[in-house]
Amino acid sequence: MQLSKAGSPASPNYTITPEASRTQVMDAISRVRSSLDGVLLGKSGQVQLALACLFARGHLLIEDLPGMGKTLLSQALARVLGLSYNRVQFTSDVLPSDIIGTSIFDRETGTLKFMRGPLFAQVVLADEINRATPKSQSALLEAMEERQVSVEGQPLELPEPFFVIATQNPVTQSGTFPLPESQLDRFLMRIALGYPDPDAERELLRGGDGRRKLADLEPQLDLNGLKQVQSAVDAVKVADPLIDYVQRLVGYTRQGGEFAYGLSPRGTLALLQAARAWALLQDRRHVVPEDVQAVLGPVVEHRLRESADFSGHGGGALVQKLLSNVDVV
Amino acid sequence: MAAEDRAGIGSQIPRNALALLMVAQAAVVLPHAMQLSPWIIIVCFVCGCWRTLVYQGRWDFPSRIIKAALVVSGSIGVILSSSNGFSLEAFVSLLVLAFAFKLVEMKSRRDAYVVIFLAYFVVATEFLFEQGLFVALYEFLAVIIVTAAMVGLNQMHTRVRPMASVRLATSLLLQALPLTVVLFLFFPRVMPLWNVPVPGNNAIGLQEEVSPGDLAELTQSDSVAFRVVFDDGTPVLYKQLYWRGVVYNVLEDGRWKAGDVPPGQPRIRMGASRQLGYEVLLEPTAQNWLYGLAVPAQLDARAKLTPDLRMLTRDPILSVFRYRMASAPGADFGVRLTEPEAQHETYIPEDSRNPRMDGYARKLYLSNPDTERFAEALLSRIRSQPYHYTLNPPALPRSGYIDSFWFDTQSGFCSHYASAFVYAMRSVGIPARMVGGYLGGELNPLSGHLVVRQYDAHAWAEVWVKGKGWRRYDPTGAVAPERVEQGLAAALSSQDRQSLSALTNARMGDTSMLGRMLYMFDSVEHNWNMFVVGFDGGVQEKFLSRWLGELTPARVGLVMLALGALCLALTALLLFFRRRPKSRDPVVRAYRRFVARASRLGFAQEPGETPGAFVARVGESVGVEPDQVQALTTSLEEALYNPEARPKTAHELSRGLRRLSVRLTFAAH
Repeated sequence: MQLSKAGSPASPNYTITPEASRTQVMDAISRVRSSLDGVLLGKSGQVQLALACLFARGHLLIEDLPGMGKTLLSQALARVLGLSYNRVQFTSDVLPSDIIGTSIFDRETGTLKFMRGPLFAQVVLADEINRATPKSQSALLEAMEERQVSVEGQPLELPEPFFVIATQNPVTQSGTFPLPESQLDRFLMRIALGYPDPDAERELLRGGDGRRKLADLEPQLDLNGLKQVQSAVDAVKVADPLIDYVQRLVGYTRQGGEFAYGLSPRGTLALLQAARAWALLQDRRHVVPEDVQAVLGPVVEHRLRESADFSGHGGGALVQKLLSNVDVV
Repeated sequence: MAAEDRAGIGSQIPRNALALLMVAQAAVVLPHAMQLSPWIIIVCFVCGCWRTLVYQGRWDFPSRIIKAALVVSGSIGVILSSSNGFSLEAFVSLLVLAFAFKLVEMKSRRDAYVVIFLAYFVVATEFLFEQGLFVALYEFLAVIIVTAAMVGLNQMHTRVRPMASVRLATSLLLQALPLTVVLFLFFPRVMPLWNVPVPGNNAIGLQEEVSPGDLAELTQSDSVAFRVVFDDGTPVLYKQLYWRGVVYNVLEDGRWKAGDVPPGQPRIRMGASRQLGYEVLLEPTAQNWLYGLAVPAQLDARAKLTPDLRMLTRDPILSVFRYRMASAPGADFGVRLTEPEAQHETYIPEDSRNPRMDGYARKLYLSNPDTERFAEALLSRIRSQPYHYTLNPPALPRSGYIDSFWFDTQSGFCSHYASAFVYAMRSVGIPARMVGGYLGGELNPLSGHLVVRQYDAHAWAEVWVKGKGWRRYDPTGAVAPERVEQGLAAALSSQDRQSLSALTNARMGDTSMLGRMLYMFDSVEHNWNMFVVGFDGGVQEKFLSRWLGELTPARVGLVMLALGALCLALTALLLFFRRRPKSRDPVVRAYRRFVARASRLGFAQEPGETPGAFVARVGESVGVEPDQVQALTTSLEEALYNPEARPKTAHELSRGLRRLSVRLTFAAH
């Protein structure tokens, strides 16, 4: 197991005032995007999805093969948003107390003193989360949904905001414990990075290594700025025809044999909120079906399972089916 | 065997379908328990248990040898237990046995489908025995379960939800109901096909011959003999309702028998008497005579009137038989008697002689030499002597029983009195015979029809009076006038009444709550018989010709097709609208109209294509300027998805869409 304190909140070089106008919000967003794009070459789509996830106050799960830049993306996100972050490298011997913290006997006062674990940070990078045993995985569970942890029966508040950005290797890799559905459902999105395109890879080979650039990355938002962006997401409007579309999508998953089970109401809310954030990133004040379709895959793929697929994690084809079988209007 | 073992998960029978199949089997076999020998039902039960054990993995599927042994022994068992050869029961027994064995051996989906189709067939065979309303309702439920098993067979293995299958099956069957009604009303009843063959032994009623005491057994039964609907209300006088059925005019071995039909035509003198029209729904009797009031004036074409006024059908009555007739109560018949008839109706074989009765009758006839006065004298003896009317008369000797009844025991049932009366007539040479039928009936106040039950069975006498023809004499009226005037219950001692069936209005009276409910059940059953079971070829023809005029096959076929198509269309529309509710939103409606129009012109919307993308694609392909397309998509998206901008842009949008439609139309031509 390794724990590494990767950084503390750095001072942002730009602050937006509480009465920030929408233009300011959009400016901040585009700065965040461009500095992330500088680090992750040729991955602007995934960067946008990851940002949409965090702006929608959701936890993010990045799944891909080792070496595709998962950790890089998560670290870059935390740095750019100017949040305190801790990284937990999950292995099969990580214990819940390694994540939450543990009580240590203080010889001077003669009492037990709680030593906070790496969970107490605004961004927790849970690296290779599916290499941990279910026991440790579930330590994250309460934290993610309730944004608090219980230590010896006492609830302890986690910092505000609190994001979990987890990375995992595909379940087909050896040495993985698949996350249970209950825990998967708590991640707003699951994204994959994929191989870089040839141009981006060429630049990478020329010496544009993201990891070196990461050190130079400046925070582009502060806590207040993030709150502004989040409330701008909430202000994005949704019309009845769009809610009809979302309901048709969700209804389709709940009937018909090919879905093992339908989307939960939490999944429905997540879909709409993610679509709002995506609409904001596209500088729209209302959600259009394109926004829903853009986030549909990342939001619902990990929540769906084919009836015939006992091992799960085959939601991609189902999303295609949803997209092509459900009427938009 | 090996092939079945190799078959994958896809050809296995899902768990819930297996459970439903077994429930379905129990449900469809259960009503057959009434007709089939008990051992077949036991075999079915054992097979069900066996299958359960196979499912639990405790027993194995039967081996080939055991299967062969079961089939052979089952067939032999059916042959041995069927009393009258290749009867309907035997074939149904064979079907039910095969059905039970198939359940045990089935392994794959294909077997399960065979079991399901057998189950539907077993349901159909039950209607060969019973066509009552409750049986029909029960079988409808059974069909739902069978259909649910079929639905379950097609469910995913991971979804084990029997109730969902039952719900789906119910809605499927309910959707099929309108079409069923159309087929019921219009499908031609091809005669040999629609006639139900040999019923079971459960038809009861009057038999071809009668010995004293037979009718007393009938009174233990409360089952319905027939129901009558009078054209103009019911005649109030109970004692007029002598339902004539069978004529017992041959005395043989101490028993009265229905003799052969005498040659010739019925000789009826109508006079000026009023005619009474009515319709009878006769329950199956397994006999070939009908019941009606004397004297039949008009008769259904399917029955023939014999000289002794029996109404005979060609075949035994095996299902509810519905016929119309009219009677003239005041008419005379058989005024002139031919010599062979007179001989036949006065004949007493030597071995059936009752010497004391012969002597008594001769003496009485000497002092009353006229037929009517002689009959009156006999009746007054019954009235004045201590004669009793009882359902449980003391046992009588086999030979000379009329003597011992008339002089010694002096207590008996209607058939005792009638047979003694007829014997006395014949022994002095007056033509007389016994008539069997029913007396009275029970008026159902709810639907106004008359129910005649088996306990209304009655026997009386007919005596030929010179110049007047055959006259009815009921000696029972002399000993128990209540029987003739008010019905059986009134005539019985309280002890006798206890032996009647409990659940009848005769026992309950008609004031209690239960009594009213019995009337209600009766009228429901009556309507069922009248409009469903009684809807036979003749009634159908009358019904159809009222609506269609002349009945040609083409006309009936066309109407059946049209109405069937209408039913299917209605169901389809219902399903369509439930799937896709019409939007009330004017913008959505305008857009849908546009999509429909564009698709007619050859620009179909791709699945999952968003409105903006669709309009942009269509606009570009007909060569609209890019900035116009842009403006239109923007206003479309605003109108549809921006809640604040909607009222402003809606008008603009529909104009834009209309313009684009026009462009599309031009482009398409």
